Amino acid sequence: MKKKEQQNMPAGQRAGMVEPRPPFLLVLKRSSRMFLSMAPLLVGIMGLVGLVQTLVTPEMLALLFRGRPVTDTLVGTLAGAAATGNPVVSYLLGGELLQQGISLYAVTAFVLSWVTLGVIQLPMEAEMFGLRFMLLRNLLALGGTILVAVLTAFTMQVLS
Amino acid sequence: MSREERRSANGPPPFRGRLFLLLVVLAYGVLLRHDASAALLALRRGGLLLFRLLPVFAAVILLIALVNWLLRPQQIVRWLGRESGVRGWLLALLAGVISHGPMYAWYPMISDLRERGGRDGLVVVFLFARCIKVPLLPLMVDSFGLRFTLVLGLYILAGSLVQGWLMERLQR
Repeated sequence: MKKKEQQNMPAGQRAGMVEPRPPFLLVLKRSSRMFLSMAPLLVGIMGLVGLVQTLVTPEMLALLFRGRPVTDTLVGTLAGAAATGNPVVSYLLGGELLQQGISLYAVTAFVLSWVTLGVIQLPMEAEMFGLRFMLLRNLLALGGTILVAVLTAFTMQVLS
Repeated sequence: MSREERRSANGPPPFRGRLFLLLVVLAYGVLLRHDASAALLALRRGGLLLFRLLPVFAAVILLIALVNWLLRPQQIVRWLGRESGVRGWLLALLAGVISHGPMYAWYPMISDLRERGGRDGLVVVFLFARCIKVPLLPLMVDSFGLRFTLVLGLYILAGSLVQGWLMERLQR
């Protein structure tokens, strides 16, 4: 059926019809354009990651732990949330912290929050999903990180 | 395709986060005045990160295009919307576990899916399930042991679902 004929059809009749799929290149162009519109946010985040990686070293993070399981778990969560970079760094640092006698609760919280929480990306998350979603999502992730860390360390104690 | 849609696909993109970028540039300016070598090192690290993430960004753009091309809005709603049911939860878990790169690289795609009817609970599941990094599992086993990795993995999966469920409750 010709396009003009479709346009002249009543809305109810048109609703039952399946619209033709647009060319893939056009969809790709639209997606690239949508992604490009977020370029200032992405470039800003990466600039911030560079700054934090330079100013906050893994050694400085390790110094925050005091050997007290409860406060160290909170410190681990917050330190992991503030840190950025490849999760490999958190695994290596976590292994070293365990050898230094830091509790498994704190180390697990640190490794988890490194990936799931990110203070640096909060502005981008708020800009893209709204302040309410960003706050709820991060509060849930914060609680989830602590809970998963505590349950994991406790289960490991029971199993061993 | 309407003329308006065609125009919006060809015109300059409406940039988001320009103020944020300006603040980051200002922070670099301040650091440059106090410690030029640290500022240059930070800039180099940020630049290297951007370069390293270019393939991830390309993959995300391609994935957004493929999803938009292959799935009609009704299908996206059926798979990731209110009526998605167990399939939606499992899909979000799987996508979170196998997704690669930093969290913020996926924000544009998540934003696009939310605008098309994707559930917030599934977004929360996806983002927390990303704690499991499949390529890094051998390293995690090496650092913490197999038992720890398995226990943590199981709790992460369960924790993701609980958070997603709580998000849906809080959004009502």
